[in-house]
Amino acid sequence: MTRIALLIALAGVAACVALAQPSKASAGWCWPDCSNYGTLNWNTTTYNGCWYRSGAVCSGWAYWSLNGVSKTCYPGCDAYGNTSGQILYGFENGDRIRGRFTVRSGRFYISPGEVGMGGYLRAQVTWYAGTSQVNVAAIG
Amino acid sequence: MTRERAFLLGAAVLIAVCAVVPLASWAEASQQRPLSRLSNSGRTVAPAQNAFARRAAVHHVSLLALRGGRAYYKVDANGTCFGAGPAADVGQLGSVDCPRGPFPTADRPVLDFSVYEVTDRGSRDFSLFRAEGFAADGVSAVAFLRPNGKVAFTVPVHANVFATTSVPRGLIKGLAALDGSGKEVWRSP
Repeated sequence: MTRIALLIALAGVAACVALAQPSKASAGWCWPDCSNYGTLNWNTTTYNGCWYRSGAVCSGWAYWSLNGVSKTCYPGCDAYGNTSGQILYGFENGDRIRGRFTVRSGRFYISPGEVGMGGYLRAQVTWYAGTSQVNVAAIG
Repeated sequence: MTRERAFLLGAAVLIAVCAVVPLASWAEASQQRPLSRLSNSGRTVAPAQNAFARRAAVHHVSLLALRGGRAYYKVDANGTCFGAGPAADVGQLGSVDCPRGPFPTADRPVLDFSVYEVTDRGSRDFSLFRAEGFAADGVSAVAFLRPNGKVAFTVPVHANVFATTSVPRGLIKGLAALDGSGKEVWRSP
């Protein structure tokens, strides 16, 4: 009887541990959250040790496979979809930050391989000019 | 001057204006058109069905060019998008840009896909890791500019695509589009 109880307890612990581990395929990060847009300007920060202390948002460290940015027209676009807000979106590690620039509104997706990076990284979007309204989502 | 002569003179002036204005507009439009046209429609390839393609809602992919181990695409993903990825695995998209608004236009004849990097935490000055992107028919080369506005190096455009991994060290501040005669037709910023 004691053995059966021990077995059940072990199974329970194993289940708890398994459920507590985030699935690698579904691990994710969003800014400001997964359904809203946030304003990125020179003093925006996520207070989590990004390459730049301000004017940047970044995820925690993980094996990211994709960083996606949706940038709206706010506070305004010209007839071609250009905004006054310039951002650098991509990835960073302890040595460098890499990415692509855009001033356009739209959707932008990038994987670490595109910037010649891999391994344990942060997904990032960094302010370079103006104001941008963005939603950022990274998946691992 | 009789009323008839005045009428004839007025009519002649009106006819002249009607003839000249469209001609001038046509001439101007002819100059602009190569900067708002992308003739390379590529060839259809099957996109790799992965999380990336699903997240970007990729429907259709056309391969525009293979250059230096990289593949460049025009992508239909709920709008006209552009993408790139490894040439060794055609259809495997590593990045997709879906800018709102038309491309190319005379206002923006270049879609810069270049990868920039910063290695100094105390600075936002950046250098190039790789130079690549898409350009309108009227763009023959893309020049990358130093902070003082001088040309750091130039990448030729073939079939609406420019690409090189051979980039010089040093800071880059912008880029310019050059036509067939080497004349600058656009600059950013």
